[in-house]
Amino acid sequence: MSDAVTQRKPGVAAAVGAGPRVPTFVVAAAVLAAAGFAVPWLIDSQLALTLMTQAVIYAILATAIGFMIRQNGLTSFGHAAFFGMAVYLMALNGKFDAVPAELAVLAAIAVPAAFAFLAGLIIVRLPALSFSMLTLAVAQSLHELMLRWRELANGDDGMPVRLPSTLFGVDIELFQAPSTMFVVCWVVLVAVIALLTLVARSHFGVLTVAIRENEERTRYVGYHTLVPRALVFALSAAVGGLAGVLFALYNAFATPGALHWSLSGEALIMAVIGGPHAIWGPALGAVVFFVVKDAVGDLTEHWPAIIGATLIVVTVLLPQGVSGLLARFTGRRAASKP
Amino acid sequence: MIQIINGLVYGSFLYVLAVGLVLIFGLRRVTNFAHGGFFMLGAYVSYAVAAYLGFWTGMVVSVAALAAFGVLLDRFVFRPLSSEEPIVTLLVTFGLLFVLEDAVRTIWGKNYISVAAPEALAGSVTIFGSQFPVYRLFVIAVAVTVALGLAIWLRSTRVGLYVRASSVDPVTTGMQGVDTDRLSALVVAIGTGLAGLSGTIAGPLMALSPSMGGYIIIDCFIVVVTGGLTSFTGAFVAALVIGQFHNLGLVYVPEVASVIPLLIMAVVLGLRPQGLAGAGK
Repeated sequence: MSDAVTQRKPGVAAAVGAGPRVPTFVVAAAVLAAAGFAVPWLIDSQLALTLMTQAVIYAILATAIGFMIRQNGLTSFGHAAFFGMAVYLMALNGKFDAVPAELAVLAAIAVPAAFAFLAGLIIVRLPALSFSMLTLAVAQSLHELMLRWRELANGDDGMPVRLPSTLFGVDIELFQAPSTMFVVCWVVLVAVIALLTLVARSHFGVLTVAIRENEERTRYVGYHTLVPRALVFALSAAVGGLAGVLFALYNAFATPGALHWSLSGEALIMAVIGGPHAIWGPALGAVVFFVVKDAVGDLTEHWPAIIGATLIVVTVLLPQGVSGLLARFTGRRAASKP
Repeated sequence: MIQIINGLVYGSFLYVLAVGLVLIFGLRRVTNFAHGGFFMLGAYVSYAVAAYLGFWTGMVVSVAALAAFGVLLDRFVFRPLSSEEPIVTLLVTFGLLFVLEDAVRTIWGKNYISVAAPEALAGSVTIFGSQFPVYRLFVIAVAVTVALGLAIWLRSTRVGLYVRASSVDPVTTGMQGVDTDRLSALVVAIGTGLAGLSGTIAGPLMALSPSMGGYIIIDCFIVVVTGGLTSFTGAFVAALVIGQFHNLGLVYVPEVASVIPLLIMAVVLGLRPQGLAGAGK
């Protein structure tokens, strides 16, 4: 893919520092983040805001999956593992009152990352196909674990996430009212995309793309290839965990559904629809996903069949996703595969 | 002791399911993410047919129906996408999984359905002083038959030779004049037919529900990867070992049993990244 080459230039520029010039994407991110504050004033409907908040949380999860595909060339079919792990860590901490909630939030991001890093040392070495199979298997076994271990997590009925009245000095209500939580999630999403863009443009980001293209050759050049790939997996898991934290704060309830393959699948579908070649692609995919979900309305009973069929159609007809399509129209960067 | 035999039963059952994926991978170099969905569909089809025509007819119909499904899958998914990256096929079959689960839930509902063992196998026998259901011995017998049947077919027939050749190197095999597309249709049909078979024998072992595919696919995928993706022997050994430990786990530490196969896999892949019997890169 030509991606490795085209990525190189901005990567080098960023590494050199390029003087005081602020990269365009930072400006864009700041503007977008600020725009989020206007949304609750423009939209009155609580229902719409609730839906949009959910969409943004899933967009973060989809971004995590997309980043993994982009930097590692590996497709995770089980990212709900990290999302659900964060949700349950928050819930279990509330149940046992183990550590302050602020610490639990950090742990809910760090633990999935550490888990992914260690698991990654074993499974990113496998062929891409085996990696995909195992991500699904790992997520499903965590799902079984939480389903079966009734004394711990109350099985299928789920458990409440008990939260203190203030978190990081902020009233907890802020995280549970759609009008304020939307802004929080939106700013987090924009920050995540900006951060991942920065990572992708860094030396590390370019190195992982090189490994994705040809691991053997990158090793010959003298780089370790295993740890960077495991780190990408860990970073992606941390972002997935972050989405789980927001979900736990907003819904204050944990069910095994947060670990189920259909959640992983939905997030993966968002990433595929949006196109993981652009870091912001999966987030765009999430928007499309929720707009379609809202539009089909009465048919939601057969929602799984609809998204399954959508995945098949998009994969076959639009392999670069919506962002690839946009890139082709604007002609900015040839995102097409050779 | 009786638990060891129960583990053997579960391992046998896993083998029948996993070997279908190994067969498909050998020919097409992809995996079928909807395999769990096919398994579930197989279970429901045989349940529906068995209600009118008995268990054995249900089994035959289920295997035949799923094999027919396999031919379609190969013709309309695997073959057209064979020039694409493997991930494209994974995503498409994954989409199929959503569709299958929705279809089954719409037709048969989401409640658990239990299936009785056929009359001929309904009793129990005394082994090592305890009662043991005959049906579970039958499951072991099915797995042994499948394993032996596959071994004989692969080792001593011409088609079997082509399948083995093709799983080593599909391109060269094609160049030697073997019609790999027809071969692949056959092999995928056998693979999905085995999903139908394992779905049928799963009926009396566990309750039917639309989520049974998602549950069983954990161990199935772990077995296939641990076994080394292409190896029948590897899948056999991995299925028996993982089935055994998972079953013991269910007896002694039921809450955390579902992560035991993962731990076994982590150990095996930590020591041998290519799997138990997989060839090096």
